[in-house]
Amino acid sequence: MPEFSRSLAAVALLALAGPARPADPLHARIDKHIAAGYGANAKQVAPRSGDDEFLRRAYLDLIGTTPTVAELNEFLADSAKDKRAKLVDKLLASPGHARRMAWHFDVMLMERGADAKVPRAAWEAYLLAAFTENKPYDVLVRELLSADGADPKTRPAAKFFLDRNLEPHAVTKDIGRIFLGRNMQCAQCHDHPTIDDYKQADYYGIQAFLNRSFLFPNANAPAAVIAEKAEGDVSFMSVFDKNKKLNSTAPRMPGGKPVEEPKAEKGKEYKVAPAKDVKPVPTHSRRERLAGAVTSTENKAFARNIVNRMWAMMMGRGIVHPVDLDHGNNPPSHPELLNELAAEFVAHKYDLRWLVREIALSDSYQRSSESRPGLDDPSADRYLVAIMKPLTAEQFAYAAMQATGHTDAERAALGAKGTEQQLDALLAPRMGPFRGMLGRGVDPTADAFTATLDQTLFVKYGSAVRTLLTPRAGNLTDRLNKITNPDAVADELFAAVLSRRPTADERKDVADALKTTTDRGKTINELVWALVASAEFRFNH
Amino acid sequence: MLPCNYACNTADHATTRRAFLGAGLGATAALGADGFANPVHAAELKKAQKRVLVIFLEGGVSQLETWDPKPNTDTGGPFKSIATSVPGTRVCELLPLAAKQMHRIALVRSLNSQTDDHGVGHNVMLTGRKMEPGIVYPHLGAVAARLLNSNANALPGHIRIVPKGGSGFNGADATFLGPKFASVGLGDGKPPADLFRPANLTPTEDEQRDAFRKRLDERFAKSRKSAATDAYTESFTQAERVVKQAEVFDISKEPEKVADKYGRHDFGRHMLLARRLLEAGVTYVKVSHSNYDTHHENFDFHIEQLAEFDKPFSALLDDLADRGMLDSTLVVVMSEMGRTPKINDRYGRDHWGRAWSVALAGAGIKGGAVVGKTNATGTAVTGREVWTGHLFHTYLQAVGLDSTKNFYPNERPVPIADPKTAAISEVLA
Repeated sequence: MPEFSRSLAAVALLALAGPARPADPLHARIDKHIAAGYGANAKQVAPRSGDDEFLRRAYLDLIGTTPTVAELNEFLADSAKDKRAKLVDKLLASPGHARRMAWHFDVMLMERGADAKVPRAAWEAYLLAAFTENKPYDVLVRELLSADGADPKTRPAAKFFLDRNLEPHAVTKDIGRIFLGRNMQCAQCHDHPTIDDYKQADYYGIQAFLNRSFLFPNANAPAAVIAEKAEGDVSFMSVFDKNKKLNSTAPRMPGGKPVEEPKAEKGKEYKVAPAKDVKPVPTHSRRERLAGAVTSTENKAFARNIVNRMWAMMMGRGIVHPVDLDHGNNPPSHPELLNELAAEFVAHKYDLRWLVREIALSDSYQRSSESRPGLDDPSADRYLVAIMKPLTAEQFAYAAMQATGHTDAERAALGAKGTEQQLDALLAPRMGPFRGMLGRGVDPTADAFTATLDQTLFVKYGSAVRTLLTPRAGNLTDRLNKITNPDAVADELFAAVLSRRPTADERKDVADALKTTTDRGKTINELVWALVASAEFRFNH
Repeated sequence: MLPCNYACNTADHATTRRAFLGAGLGATAALGADGFANPVHAAELKKAQKRVLVIFLEGGVSQLETWDPKPNTDTGGPFKSIATSVPGTRVCELLPLAAKQMHRIALVRSLNSQTDDHGVGHNVMLTGRKMEPGIVYPHLGAVAARLLNSNANALPGHIRIVPKGGSGFNGADATFLGPKFASVGLGDGKPPADLFRPANLTPTEDEQRDAFRKRLDERFAKSRKSAATDAYTESFTQAERVVKQAEVFDISKEPEKVADKYGRHDFGRHMLLARRLLEAGVTYVKVSHSNYDTHHENFDFHIEQLAEFDKPFSALLDDLADRGMLDSTLVVVMSEMGRTPKINDRYGRDHWGRAWSVALAGAGIKGGAVVGKTNATGTAVTGREVWTGHLFHTYLQAVGLDSTKNFYPNERPVPIADPKTAAISEVLA
């Protein structure tokens, strides 16, 4: 095609917001799909985010913390047209991104349950290594679903099963929810009464992969590993069935074909036969087929679930929402987009970093969270305005340490030779109280944000936040104490905590506070606290 | 294998906010405040503030050494029964002060709670239901806090005072009613540390910084506002109101004479704290008294334990009456179960849920009423058997609530109290 006609076509495409073409990068196609869904509200779409707004959002979403004052200043001063894309690439390549993904997947996979057979440190190290090398998602899940915990090298990957004690219903339910986006819990006892797509036979099809597996030597042993018998089938009956018909199913994914099971010759069912204190090994393992069946390209739910979950992580809401209720009566807000994300994700070899990058580069991600006047209650599933996401416990901890300059002070103390890993080793232990308070008691599947009294008191009076405000060489209160000009105090304060410049009103507030105070140090401490406790800080806006 | 082992013991089966999203309602089923599709009628909430105090005799108190004595029988043990302020009603001699309060107390002597297990008993007594697969019911405290709490009260509506251990928020007892109604636990009566302004922060400084936060939040909300950001900013207002009342947790503010009346021991202090909290507007307080699990030496232990119970219990009823609060405060003395009529070979009594007693007083209760009977040796209920569900209805109706209504978590009706049971009208005023 001659050059001029191609550019004409591009112009026409923009003007008409016509159908997305496969040749466009995915982020452009994302925007086409989202724009097609604006409908009558097209005029109320929020403008592109400001640079400061985008910077804070990208930092929190991609590396789980907020930018330093220097990073903010540098970004705002940069006049390059492609500075946002460059920033996204810089953040994705940094160790902070692996840390952020490890946090996210820890919560997604383990849902803040108590640690049991696989210690937290080993699990976090495993996830961090996986996301540092950007391990393809299908490879990661195959590891999680096939490790039996016997080899110390791969034992951390077995946490998904081991810390659920391999309890048949817990693991069946969570495989459905976490890897397939289907909460089939009700199907344990009967076909779902209101969700036609969730069948009891589907539920037991998943369970059939695991029904022969058990913890060896027993479930109470801290070092237990997963062992398997060569026989046993699932059987189930519906509690609604008056005839009490007993059913069974071979191992299979929901809606899929049963996996073929080779019949072992009589007498040769085991590689290692069961005996007292001996871990049996069957000739044919059902459990070993699970990872392949879940991650098979024939199992469409696998890619569809994770692209939806990553979309929700970035955009604040799933295309299927809630993310674990994917079924016919709860249709996706943008079905074509979801299909395209899933197909492209598979085509890109399950590359999570690529997927996150494409979403981050989209205009849809880069919308402002500021509503236009008159748009009081925008329907969240249209993405007219960026959705404000409450910081996770981990994000809040790291952002609070960055905002108060604790991170700066630690970095300075490490000196020029300090590495990000060394810095993390100093910061991570401080996350405990934040996780305990802001991550605890939260139903990970609930979409509603709650602010309980104890959480708010934790921010208000808790020592975890308060100790960050005490001046120490290089932290924010220390830096502010040394600045004499009130406007400069306001500038540094707002840049450090909220990653933006103060407004004229805000500068005046700061100046007034400093003018009337009898104890400047205390007033500065109060100002820092006020910004950290603000809604603007609590949310990724 | 069993057809279904019902291991799904989360509330999802029937009651989480999201459970039946599949009902073609779409992802944002319209809910009222707190997930109530049909909010309880506002007028009902506007009634004079009612409160509930549960005194929980932990371990399983003996009905024979308290409210249903059987002196001079094989099972009766060594104690006599004594006359009370209600002619014809006798209680064990270990409760001399409570006996004088009997005109304020109604007894239910025919409870069959159908369990001999501590954990299950605790649960069924506080939820008014048998434990069921697939749903976890909220405790009485969460239900009371949800249905009785007026917005004027900043203090948490649901407080548990336990003999020892740490203090903390967010007890796992509100289930589908939400964390707002979950209990705040006070180990040895001590409030959670973060409830108090740190020593190096003066009230003025605290106010100044909060005013600054408020200005920021107001500006932010002009163009960026959501239910979530509102909930967060509002939570600071609530926290501030609670902090301002932190003194109610401090019983050293009580006159010496009053403290003496309640008794200078842990349970006495905890009962006094309960009265302070109720007076300050807390909807529901549960005070635990430990421990009545007397498999050995049942009689010696009950002498000690009940002496510790009798004095503050009686003082508290007087105190509530003197302050005009008894008419609006339901007081319940319960346990997770009773104790076997049969005396074992260690002079102990064992776990027993089949025929035992609960005492009620205060709001909505007909003082002096006695409901139900056990046989001569206390081994079986012989008249008007009631279950925990009957009691649960009774508690709620005593404080003016319609216990036959439903909660609507995620638009699914969940009866507030077990619909197979009804209130015990004989004890209701």
